Amino acid sequence: MEIAVTNETDISIFAIKGRLDAVTVPELEQQLNQWFEGTGKKLIFDLEGLDYISSAGLRTFLSTAKKMKARDGKLCMTRLRDNVKDVFTISGFIALIPAFDTLGAAQDSMR
Amino acid sequence: MLIKKMPARMESLHELLTFIRNEAKKRGFSESLLQRIELVAEEALVNVFVHGYTHKDGEVEVGCLISDDPALTIEIRDKGVSFDPLSLADPDVQADLADRKIGGMGVFLIRKMADRVAYRREGGNNIFSMTFLNR
Repeated sequence: MEIAVTNETDISIFAIKGRLDAVTVPELEQQLNQWFEGTGKKLIFDLEGLDYISSAGLRTFLSTAKKMKARDGKLCMTRLRDNVKDVFTISGFIALIPAFDTLGAAQDSMR
Repeated sequence: MLIKKMPARMESLHELLTFIRNEAKKRGFSESLLQRIELVAEEALVNVFVHGYTHKDGEVEVGCLISDDPALTIEIRDKGVSFDPLSLADPDVQADLADRKIGGMGVFLIRKMADRVAYRREGGNNIFSMTFLNR
């Protein structure tokens, strides 16, 4: 798994590539914990390169959504592949974190 | 039946999943079904790694059953504490963010994505089997 974090004005984008599973998820958690030490309120998960997600990944997405809510921030995700979207749909998580087809639409939702 | 045995720990996950994926691939499962099989297998294996052997080392055995019908059955065996994952209640997938809990999500995904699942305790082993139809 690879994570690239970019900041555009007040929006942070986590581009997550590869596999988000029980083995790789601690890396993402570490990066997120670091991000939460700051005061950012806008976060986008760009999942264009994400091949695979399991419940371990969902767990991190859920805790991130809860933390963002606690700081009155905004979280969304974009460019989910079909199989990743399936996991979000079946688990009901698709109703918890807004998902957008394009990065532009995700950014617009933050403004 | 093709069997692979490894230490029941997270470091074994990728190798076991590759083994399962290759066996499923040989049986002609599509890429989207392969991904489902992999996901279900991960959830079942991680359950064993995390809950199977508390405070001691153990092993997990993965078997891929060959049958004539276009299906793949994966059996996961461990000698850990007796535990039936199917005894867990489904999580409330309609709950809103504040009430949403992650517990039980792995088993929920297993139930939703495998065509058949079964658990049995046999001779000190937990045996969890998952069947996928090739369609």
